[in-house]
Amino acid sequence: MLSRTAEYLYWISRYMERAETTARLLDVGYRMSLFPNPSGYNNEWESVLSAAGAIEGYKNKYNTIEQKNVEDYLFFDESNPSSVYNCILNARNNALVVRTSFTPESWLAVNKTYQEMLNLKEKKFTKSDLPDLTEWTIEQVNLFRGSLSSLLRNDGYNFLFLGLFIERADNSARLLDVKYFVLLPKPQYIGGNIDNMQWSILLRSLSSFRAFRWAYDGNITATKIADFLVLNNNCPRSLSFCIQNIVKHLTNLTCSPEKVGRIYNNLKDLNTKIQEEKIETIVEYGLHQFVTQFIRKISSVDNEIHKEFFN
Amino acid sequence: MYQSESVIRNHYNNINDWLDQMTSKVILEKNAEAETHFRNIGITFSTNNETARERIIPFDLIPRIFTYTEWLRLERGVIQRAKALNAFLADIYNQGEIIKASIIPKEIIYKKKSFEPSMFGFSPPRDIYSPIIGIDLVRTSPNDYFVLEDNCRTPSGVSYMLENREIMMRMFPDLFHNNRVTPIDDYPTRLLQTLMSLAPIKCENPEPVCVLLTPGPLNSAYYEHSFLSDQMGIEMVESTDLFVEGKYLYMKTVDGPKRVDVVYRRIDDDFLDPLCFNPQSVIGIPGIMDVYRTGGVNICSAPGAGIADDKAIYIYVPEMIKFYLGEQPILDNVETWNCEKEQELKYVLDNINELVVKEVDGSGGYGMLIGPKSSKSSIDEFKTKLSTNPKGYIAQPLLDLSFSPTLIKNQVEGRRVDLRPFCLIGEQAQLSSGGLTRVAMNEGSFVVNSSQGGGVKDTWVLAE
Repeated sequence: MLSRTAEYLYWISRYMERAETTARLLDVGYRMSLFPNPSGYNNEWESVLSAAGAIEGYKNKYNTIEQKNVEDYLFFDESNPSSVYNCILNARNNALVVRTSFTPESWLAVNKTYQEMLNLKEKKFTKSDLPDLTEWTIEQVNLFRGSLSSLLRNDGYNFLFLGLFIERADNSARLLDVKYFVLLPKPQYIGGNIDNMQWSILLRSLSSFRAFRWAYDGNITATKIADFLVLNNNCPRSLSFCIQNIVKHLTNLTCSPEKVGRIYNNLKDLNTKIQEEKIETIVEYGLHQFVTQFIRKISSVDNEIHKEFFN
Repeated sequence: MYQSESVIRNHYNNINDWLDQMTSKVILEKNAEAETHFRNIGITFSTNNETARERIIPFDLIPRIFTYTEWLRLERGVIQRAKALNAFLADIYNQGEIIKASIIPKEIIYKKKSFEPSMFGFSPPRDIYSPIIGIDLVRTSPNDYFVLEDNCRTPSGVSYMLENREIMMRMFPDLFHNNRVTPIDDYPTRLLQTLMSLAPIKCENPEPVCVLLTPGPLNSAYYEHSFLSDQMGIEMVESTDLFVEGKYLYMKTVDGPKRVDVVYRRIDDDFLDPLCFNPQSVIGIPGIMDVYRTGGVNICSAPGAGIADDKAIYIYVPEMIKFYLGEQPILDNVETWNCEKEQELKYVLDNINELVVKEVDGSGGYGMLIGPKSSKSSIDEFKTKLSTNPKGYIAQPLLDLSFSPTLIKNQVEGRRVDLRPFCLIGEQAQLSSGGLTRVAMNEGSFVVNSSQGGGVKDTWVLAE
């Protein structure tokens, strides 16, 4: 496989994954905007922007944080590199180049999404349309993922999934980083409505709200949620699940065992640690520090993948 | 479709019945379906205006039909022509017999920009310079076909031929149950076989590694590049994916370098090798020409193959057929005046109101004058151009291109068409069982180019 093809495949799934994350964040913001604003908490749209890594760009463009503008910035804005529009545009342009390494269905899934996006962009939207937009995005991304199941299980497949899980690991971790304080024990809030609400934001933004209920019995506690999102191998968005899959798709690559070996060595410790760690230890050590380190590690693995395979 | 006023030619009967039973509503729906399909698969062409949406070429639902016997003659004629053009290239880059025989003056050949001096004395595998040739044909009466031009470099449009058929089969399966239409979907396989049969001498691989070299996504034929490489199952590469080491060409893969035997290039000569052609070029593979000349790789079509489809050379193709093949040309040329010759220039200037004047290096329907349909001012403009630069132009009579029934606002109307079938020459010479029919969608128009409002149709060749 051409190095460039591998790189483009990797980025297609990163972009599609990012489109979904951004759409889910918007959904969370939308949901929150329907609840009475609890005193003492920041505007929810601001944390949506931080979690999407778009706060700086947004503030360069707008003076105040308003739902209409946030929606537009995160969904349609061409100047925001992570807007759903740009993610889909980039995924499609990459797919155009590597459609030969795809199934026709995968190409269709990406290109149709793009064509529909152009139509959506031409229409004018009102606040209440947001749920439709997020639902549409999630559907499109699922269509794309589904189409991947008929791919040959070759290196191209593994590069696609490496991209997907690197992006997801990064997204989940960044979201946790923005919201980590919600999971810290604060006596004055425990059991209060505010906590519940904040927790549900976190879970929803990781599409894990109902999954959590099925995975854990009894009361909802901060520790359980942290465990679910960081260490639970059954949760498809937890950090440990992402790492496991990065390792899996990395070691499944049949090209250049020595390159795979070098990247794996860098990743090994994190993988072992996350599989053996207890959530209490992490919280005690500092969830924030843990997540920050994790993000740094993922970014260095991403750099290595680029250096070893795509140059 | 019509034999004479309102008499339908036999082989169009089925289509006529089919049209009769389609309501306007169905036609509208099917048109919309076709458009959505083309957008979804991405068979679009980009325009220079980046903000504009990619455009799709208008697709007409009514197929153009050839009978088996009609096609047989075209097939023989096109293959004959393609063979002669390759023989011509092999000759002028070696002995130059046709020049010695005073059939073509040597200035016409050697002074052309498309003549490539560095090819002199080199013979590509099987002496095939141009393995994929698109011949543009027009029909002026039931049995009169003329060749409008030859395309020996990198003819495009074959993806439309294949996709037009796909969409027709998808939308109107019954049509294909009731008509015996020769399939064309084996074209990519045949193209790959052709390329593989042209492996360079130093290739030891029984299954030569072929790649398609594209200039990149901004090229207007990019869809076709990706479509063809996909259908052939070969890598579509850009020049940055390739490099030369030792006497071989390699592509950069995740496993490390992989040797490439045959390059089906869809870029111009100028951008192949900055060491050899255009030192300013940022695209291109330094050293590839050296590998080519020493038999480490084959480049299809060969650098310098473009001389064969030069509009000034076109005039001599019937002579070439007689000279190299010892045969009478099956397909005629359009009568052409070479403005370089004083007498012919005079004739052109005197009769410009009746003629079509074309730039020798022009394409895409740009830079041409259709005398009978032009204003006095543009005719005067062309007269000046002709007088100052006569060798830049040729002139031809305005041919009465045949009409094909075309759906215009739900009504069947006649529109002018041409045809580009695709000829492959490798181990064997063969013609696609169909081609690209282009149609001038505007009433009364003679220009079928997509850049000038042309559309396309599915083209059927009926089985014997």
